Amino acid sequence: MLLFRSEETVDQWCVAHNMPRRPLINLEQLWQLAVHWYGNRLTVESRRPAPDEMVSIFASLGLTGPFWDPKSDQWQ
Amino acid sequence: MPDQDLDTRVKLAIYEITSDTGRVPNSAQVSRKIDIDESEVLHAFGRLHGKRLLLPEPGDPTRIRMAPPFSGVPTLFPVEANGKKYFANCVWDAYGIAAALRCDAISHASDGHTGEPLTLEVKNGRPILKSYVAHFAVPAAHWWDDLVFT
Repeated sequence: MLLFRSEETVDQWCVAHNMPRRPLINLEQLWQLAVHWYGNRLTVESRRPAPDEMVSIFASLGLTGPFWDPKSDQWQ
Repeated sequence: MPDQDLDTRVKLAIYEITSDTGRVPNSAQVSRKIDIDESEVLHAFGRLHGKRLLLPEPGDPTRIRMAPPFSGVPTLFPVEANGKKYFANCVWDAYGIAAALRCDAISHASDGHTGEPLTLEVKNGRPILKSYVAHFAVPAAHWWDDLVFT
């Protein structure tokens, strides 16, 4: 995923790459995702969150729906 | 560390070398670090890939393309932390390096469309908030289909 100054440059990127616009998140949400995913990554017990855990993490940040569901088949 | 399984030892060695040097190690470097035959390290790389904890370099299983949040190759998301320079795989991972190392960090990133320099900073365990946004082009169910693009 890429960083943009504003929604305007996101839209310009989508047009330039013929890509649909997908969800945007702000820096606070991004930081919380980073802490959930990587906060213990250098430790013995570290592992990638399981699919259900991912859904819970996303939901805690207001990110819901099939886009954020790693088991969704809506986007095949 | 006799009570740790091989995969855990390899994983920890990868991250220890990376955090100490700023460079993601190859299988030979991990082999020397933990005094295990390189062939066993390569098998561990494969199992860690299966657990989605690393991505080998396509065409060269001795090298690591991604040990998230760290990148084994230069990217558009350099991160300075602890006096070292790392590379993150994406904007999420740029913050992820600060979260993993649990230290202040700064990333001189850029706008994905215009290339305008955009700085991300973490100080005292918190991000310096700005009005920037991150765009997720790929749904969660497909992040590992093409992790380099995601």
